[in-house]
Amino acid sequence: MSSSCKQAISRRNFLKLSGTAAAAAAVGAPSRVLYALVSEKEEGAEVAAHEMFSACDMCFNKCGLIARVENGVIKKLDPNPKSLKSRGMLCARGNAGVKQLYDPDRLKYPLLRKGDRGGGKWQRLSWDQALDHAAEQMERIGEAYTRCGFLFMAGTDMQSTFVHRFAEAYGSYNVISHESNCLLSRNRAFLDTFGVVPTPDVLNCKYVIMPGANRFEALVTPDSMDLMTAMQGGSKLVVLDPRYTKTAALADEWYAIKPGTDMAFFLAIAQVLVSENLYDKKFVAEKTNGFEEFQAHVDSYTPEWAEGETEIPARDIRRMARELAAAAPAAMVYPGRRSSDYEDSTQIRRAFAIVNALLGNWDRKGGLIIPKKIKTGSIYHDAPFYEDNPEDRVDAGMSQMMFDEEGSFKHTRDAVIEGRPYPVKGWFTYKTNPMQTGANRNKTIEMIHKLDFMMSVDIVMSDTAWMADLVLPAPSYLERKDPISAFLASSSCSGVITRDPIVPAMFQSNPVFWIVKELAKRLDLGESFDFTIDDFRKTQLEKLPEVAQAIKQDGVYNIVGPSYGIHEGKPFKTRSKKIEIYNSRYKDKGIDPMPVYHSPKRVPRNHFRMVVGRNAFITQSASTNNSLLCELQRENSLWIHPKPAGTLGIHQGDQVEVASPAGRGRLKARVTEETRPDTVYMDSGFGVISKGLSNIFGKGACIAEVLEDHADKISGNMAMHETFVTVRPV
Amino acid sequence: MFKKIGAVLIIMVFLLVCIGVVIAEDGKGNARKGKYLFRKNCRACHGDGGSATELSPISKTQADWQKVFDDYNQLECKTEWNKLSDKDRLDMYAHLHGHAFDSPSPAKCK
Repeated sequence: MSSSCKQAISRRNFLKLSGTAAAAAAVGAPSRVLYALVSEKEEGAEVAAHEMFSACDMCFNKCGLIARVENGVIKKLDPNPKSLKSRGMLCARGNAGVKQLYDPDRLKYPLLRKGDRGGGKWQRLSWDQALDHAAEQMERIGEAYTRCGFLFMAGTDMQSTFVHRFAEAYGSYNVISHESNCLLSRNRAFLDTFGVVPTPDVLNCKYVIMPGANRFEALVTPDSMDLMTAMQGGSKLVVLDPRYTKTAALADEWYAIKPGTDMAFFLAIAQVLVSENLYDKKFVAEKTNGFEEFQAHVDSYTPEWAEGETEIPARDIRRMARELAAAAPAAMVYPGRRSSDYEDSTQIRRAFAIVNALLGNWDRKGGLIIPKKIKTGSIYHDAPFYEDNPEDRVDAGMSQMMFDEEGSFKHTRDAVIEGRPYPVKGWFTYKTNPMQTGANRNKTIEMIHKLDFMMSVDIVMSDTAWMADLVLPAPSYLERKDPISAFLASSSCSGVITRDPIVPAMFQSNPVFWIVKELAKRLDLGESFDFTIDDFRKTQLEKLPEVAQAIKQDGVYNIVGPSYGIHEGKPFKTRSKKIEIYNSRYKDKGIDPMPVYHSPKRVPRNHFRMVVGRNAFITQSASTNNSLLCELQRENSLWIHPKPAGTLGIHQGDQVEVASPAGRGRLKARVTEETRPDTVYMDSGFGVISKGLSNIFGKGACIAEVLEDHADKISGNMAMHETFVTVRPV
Repeated sequence: MFKKIGAVLIIMVFLLVCIGVVIAEDGKGNARKGKYLFRKNCRACHGDGGSATELSPISKTQADWQKVFDDYNQLECKTEWNKLSDKDRLDMYAHLHGHAFDSPSPAKCK
């Protein structure tokens, strides 16, 4: 397969493209710019076609793909059958990736804000002007407020590592990832139990209890496909979810559990496993710490007690515990991914982890596994140390056990707003959209108004870019060269992947690697970026020639060999070197060493609990404006049960206002029994403020505006199920 | 009486031995500075392709790092260790011990 484009865009098409681009200066103005790309084959003319490997970037999964290119234009994206992680699959979003590339709403050149923040008035800059301006602002803010006065936030992306590297060279510890709006509390809980965050071997599992996760819509490869395959082979799936999701629809059993009571359910499962001697006694005796304390701890958490909390019948809880034990060790509580729900979300996931430990499914076929991962090389750099910097992050100490290298968006935002413990006045965002993904959008706006300077690197004018002072256009994943990326997946499908440009970068877009390298030069930090992506890759694969060869030949390197039964005899990476059912570090820090159940706050009269979730064609806020995916969903709606809807006089399709102390939004009602009477739901990614998102501007409501910002006490992860809303017809 | 004095002395000696560690655990060592110092002083040998074992905070447990810092005079590179100030060692301890593989915030591979 070719590694380079045989034919770039023709000169005629390019001129059309750039000419129209120049005319479309106003963001959000109707643009026909990309229609020029429709090929104009003359009859009988030969089509120059070729195919190239790449990895999808429509969500975080990095599924293997093959791009079909004709006359320099990507015509179709197909799955790469060699990619074991994606099991030869490319989902709806993956197929729609072409429209991320050929999107008239793409950012085309650097833009500087004119007028008020969020006002939508921009001045076009050259790259030199834009980078000089950004470097000046960075220099000025670093001088005035120390280097930690500049905050960096990069989303999940193969080039985000360069943003982190730049932040380190620049001298700021204030780097946050998207993860604190997503899965940190799950990571916290499993790390604090097993010393590592495991991967579920769904493919070989015989009995899966899936609390909250929605794997047939919120796709995770290979879990989504493996779950289906396992079920076809007779495996059982139990779903606990207040909503009747697609996953619930396909499950063997679905329980519309009362939101916030999952811990009660699993403590009761544990109680049955312990009291009926159904746990793996040998495993527990050899590999766990604190079982005796736990035995006493769960004594009162009976299924009968849990029924009152969860609204799941005690007899079913008891039966499920017995069925789990019978299927163990090929049985699991699925760890899930997004766990940004409650203020005790880490402790809720600790309960999941402990039940897994009792089942003895660690490092076992069909259980929780730690597949091998390829360790790639790296180009070191000696980041300078800035003596005047404060000692720690701006959000340090705001949660009980935050991950230093992830931070907490919620706590950082609070700190920026309050200006304490020290002022943060600059913000660099790359491919992340906290205006849409961080609960309490009004607070994000408040935070931005506290800044002296904000710059955003993105493909389109996201809501976050819309609020920035300087917006820099990045190419899509189909136009750029990325570093090598090693990933963990599941049994026998972890591997390594990379991306080469399928077509040249359009407009004046430049990858974030180039942007930070140029900024580094201007800030006298060039030594940290004294290499090209090719140099970086070469170092990454220096000792891995077989990986380099496989990537060239197949577009992916798959790790073969067993992925379970490979850690026997190794100590766990915990304080006790065992699985910590009882966590002594928690005890030392004043945290419950074993999960203690507290009933969730009662939903006040005439209110509903708002829950968040996904469908299979939405990646938070990144895909809703895609012109193909728009065909599937043009706006979001509020799921509300017919009973309260009837009381409130709300009919199917009526416009309603949903409101909380944080904010409000108007959208259509979807009156459905697919949600509990006390729970409402809406998709993310709508109700945008950016007029640069022409397909969805003015459509639906923004869940981030309605959600209050609570945090998981232990990890600082956002807690997004703690908001009670009112709903009224309008 | 002598027993009491003895007990007090034992406690005092114990406290003196532990004081560096206590300070570090209380966050007095600057882990950020420690990361910089670790790279500056150790990576030439302990980096990828160096003459000694490759090291990062997650190469060891907190207890292992504790032993390293307690007994650095036993190490082959003790001369290099002795060139460091107490504060530098404390900062490096805060970085390495604070991000050990069994720590609450293990360092990411970099």
